[in-house]
Amino acid sequence: MTLPLAVVGVSHKTAPVEVREQLAYGPADVAVALHALRSAGAVEEAVLLSTCNRTEVYLHPAQEGSTLHAIERLFSSRPHAVDGSLEPYLFEKHGEQAISHLFQVTAGLDAMVTGEAEIQGQVREAYQQAAILDAAPPLVGPVLNRLFQTALSVGGQVRSETSIGEGTASVASVAVELAGKIFGSLQGKRVLLLGAGMTGELIVDALSREGVQSIAVANRTYARAVSLARKHHGQAIPFDQIAEVLPTVDIVLSSTAAPHPVLTRAILRESFIEPRRHPLLIIDIAIPRDVDPSVGDEPEVFLYNVDDLRTIVDEHVQIRVGAVAEADQIVRAGCEEFGACYASLEVVPIIQSMRIMAEAYREAELERLFRGLGHLAEEDRARVEEFSRRLQNKLLHEPTARLRQGMAEGEGRSLIEAVCFLYGIGDSEDSRAGPKEEEGLPDTAEEGVQE
Amino acid sequence: MIHLSAFVFYLGALVPWIHLLVRGARRHTVFLASGLTGVAVALHAMALVDFWLTFSELPLGGLAPALSSLAFVGGLALVAMLLLREVARLALGLLPFVLVLQGAALALGIEPAPGDLDFQGAGFVLHVALAFLGLQGLAIASAAGILYLIQHHELKVKRLGRLFQFIPPLATLERVGGTGLSVGFVALSLALVLGWAWTVQNLGSLEIDDPKVIWAVMSWMVFLGIFAARRGRGRSEYRSALAAVIGFGIVIGTYLALRITAEGSGLFL
Repeated sequence: MTLPLAVVGVSHKTAPVEVREQLAYGPADVAVALHALRSAGAVEEAVLLSTCNRTEVYLHPAQEGSTLHAIERLFSSRPHAVDGSLEPYLFEKHGEQAISHLFQVTAGLDAMVTGEAEIQGQVREAYQQAAILDAAPPLVGPVLNRLFQTALSVGGQVRSETSIGEGTASVASVAVELAGKIFGSLQGKRVLLLGAGMTGELIVDALSREGVQSIAVANRTYARAVSLARKHHGQAIPFDQIAEVLPTVDIVLSSTAAPHPVLTRAILRESFIEPRRHPLLIIDIAIPRDVDPSVGDEPEVFLYNVDDLRTIVDEHVQIRVGAVAEADQIVRAGCEEFGACYASLEVVPIIQSMRIMAEAYREAELERLFRGLGHLAEEDRARVEEFSRRLQNKLLHEPTARLRQGMAEGEGRSLIEAVCFLYGIGDSEDSRAGPKEEEGLPDTAEEGVQE
Repeated sequence: MIHLSAFVFYLGALVPWIHLLVRGARRHTVFLASGLTGVAVALHAMALVDFWLTFSELPLGGLAPALSSLAFVGGLALVAMLLLREVARLALGLLPFVLVLQGAALALGIEPAPGDLDFQGAGFVLHVALAFLGLQGLAIASAAGILYLIQHHELKVKRLGRLFQFIPPLATLERVGGTGLSVGFVALSLALVLGWAWTVQNLGSLEIDDPKVIWAVMSWMVFLGIFAARRGRGRSEYRSALAAVIGFGIVIGTYLALRITAEGSGLFL
């Protein structure tokens, strides 16, 4: 069975940072992009995941066939998009490959840093963001809903059951290690955080644990800077006063959503009345980049962007390689589980109809029974009711489980038809509501089923 | 023979250090490297004591014994660094220096000085020991400086491989270099004062064209130059590391030049 799912996008494996930064979507851009895809008739359901390492659209296509060109058109409409075709940088996966890709991404197996934990939160955010968008029908329907729920579950399982998350191989911990290689102990060091990116905050948290002395926070929205500063026991500064703070800090973390560099060589030189005596580490994790690359040419400045971190990450990845095979097994099991779940999606309405029908029979039969047994005490009536409920559940359990199993094993269509025929489901709208008093009720449950 | 054994152990200690550099941190390799270094220094000490007992003369007079003694002070510095986990890997910078000195001493033949030494006694020994300590301080600063420059370069070109992983943090190297310079400068200054005092007391005056005096004063001025570099505007840490490396090169170069050209150099150092 080919699942009607696809993923199209760019990642750190297919496109350099210069391309990825052009395709970075902020929260507001995501909504516009998803609505545009829906309006173009390209998708039934869609989720857009945009992180510093990837921009990917997970979708339930409206029609069979490639969705590459629809996504390419979407990406090409970005301001400052790269010259020429994006096609060489795009990848496209369908069906089980697309599912496996999402699970690997969520589990951190496709990350720049294998086992990276932040991606799980980013996938959850992308999913939730698409789910709450005002669209009819919703952009996250039963297919993507189930897909992302399973992906998050698989991601959590991989992290808890394997050693994929052990060692210092997240962007945050790598940044801390880098700082350690320059400053030794981080006790007493001062940090300037530019922007309110999630990864930037994670790095600040990690640096705080290592004992940095003070954290200054600058954000375009001053209130957000104040909020962040309070959270990290730091000091908020207006964004236009960065240059005044720069000479006093040892580490700069930049993760703004600015479309242009916020820290240039000119600003840096202007800020240093005297040449720097000590090193300055700048970690630019923003996409597009916040720090002009020429800043790294300053003598005592060590500038690293997300791609630069790849080298140090590779070392750590080796440590986690041993856990990858184990994690892959969990991902494969997750894919199978999703396949089964997807198949079962089709039988959910059938099972619901079976249960509604059985419940209606049970209630009707009980009512008829109690009408002739008026002398029964309340306690006895409750026991009879409980007995009928248990009996009904036991009778329905086996067929329901076998129906789901059969769907997962690819016997879907014939089973659904058989069940619908046997239970009379779909004969009329009324069949889902169960028997009606005025139509007369069968004398036994078996007769009811036959009817 | 014991000198040769010490050399072999120093050489043996270099192998696990290189292995650590190439293959990454392994606890047992660190133990092996530290153990071999420790054994080498212990053997070296035994060799120098043996020389003293055999020839009734401290191994400070002739060139080869003096080089071996200088290497021994380097070995002691190595052991001190190995005890401080943070800077243990600096050993890789200092070990080759010790090996070269000891190798040169062995090549020249560790024999007693051809003539009687002008100075003997506790004061002379203290003077030479302090001078050696001063040079070792500079050697440590130079080794730290080399590693600082390499690490700085690796960070700049963003090549964060094994070498980057192996070398201690810049701040640590800067601190070790600074400590080596401070201790070395104080020791060398005391050695100069002590040497001047003993010379005046025993010979009546100090000859300023004496190769020993020229070299000692030159070395002292090199220290001053490095300190000046550390205090300059901007990039002080980088300049300090560079100055320590160049300064140590000047000291060694001056010694070799004087050794080759100066008269009566058989007793020099």
